[in-house]
Amino acid sequence: MVASKKHVPIVKKHTARFNRHQSDRFKCVGASWRKPKGIDNRVRRRFKGQAAMPKIGYGSNKKTRHLMPSGHKAFLVHNTNDLDLLLMHNKTYAAEYVSTYDNHLPFRFTSLCSATTWEDPNSYDRISHSVSSRKRIEIVARAKQLGVKVTNGKAKITTES
Amino acid sequence: MTSQYENISSDLLWECVRGNNAFLVKRRQAGGVQFSRDFLNLTNKHSRKYEGFVNERAIGLQPSPSASMTLTTKIAKNANRPAKAFQTATFSAATPARKAYRGIVNSTAKKGYRADLRAEAVARASAVKLSLRKKRENPKAKLRGRKRVEAEGKKGGALGEVLI
Repeated sequence: MVASKKHVPIVKKHTARFNRHQSDRFKCVGASWRKPKGIDNRVRRRFKGQAAMPKIGYGSNKKTRHLMPSGHKAFLVHNTNDLDLLLMHNKTYAAEYVSTYDNHLPFRFTSLCSATTWEDPNSYDRISHSVSSRKRIEIVARAKQLGVKVTNGKAKITTES
Repeated sequence: MTSQYENISSDLLWECVRGNNAFLVKRRQAGGVQFSRDFLNLTNKHSRKYEGFVNERAIGLQPSPSASMTLTTKIAKNANRPAKAFQTATFSAATPARKAYRGIVNSTAKKGYRADLRAEAVARASAVKLSLRKKRENPKAKLRGRKRVEAEGKKGGALGEVLI
């Protein structure tokens, strides 16, 4: 596995959820964000002590957007052919395997692309959750050969002994 | 109806197929990454510059089962004769990396054949070579906690009890 390309520190400007105004007071008002539109609304008018509203300024630095804490970007793979796409990107992408029916856990394979001269987004692979353990073993072995990180490389592979 | 392929430029072709084609791999992750499975694409990135099937001239580097690496280039004048459209050269696993890079650059960029892809070709050759190298086995995971105590107890008789 290759470490990710060097990057500026990842800063999350606002990690708390933005809850809809008054969703804490009424059970019929859900927490998912809706912009207050009322003429007298104190949240809309940004009064002191009111909840903050989401805005574009909270967005992440473009250089660290979509990066996982490891510095890679995720890329879902279903088979070893998908992995081969990450040959040149193992410092940027990590693989995840995903499958569609085996179980409902989200699995991640990300490939780390080794970025050389041109800019590569950091990626890693995640294996699709419906991928069988037989294929996962193949994927993990191939990822090792390619130097691609697999985010969910242990899923369905390790056994209890 | 006769098709006039000479009227179809690379730019036209690209505009037609850039949204969807057989080589394109799209994911919603990472802001919608797009990769390409084209074997004449050195970086596997979906872009006008790197896509081998839209460019008249293109370079491909693939690991091959018999040798270590195969270099493929497109012959522009044979674009309509698929059997003769490609020229291939192989590098054996014994070829030193730098010699392989030199061979690749001498037969492409230095001849004025896609000189813009020189760095990418060398980088890919390097990556392919690295991927063919035998990797070290992962170290065996150490047992922790009760499992370790049990394993050691079995091995060393009374040791397990001492640790507890």
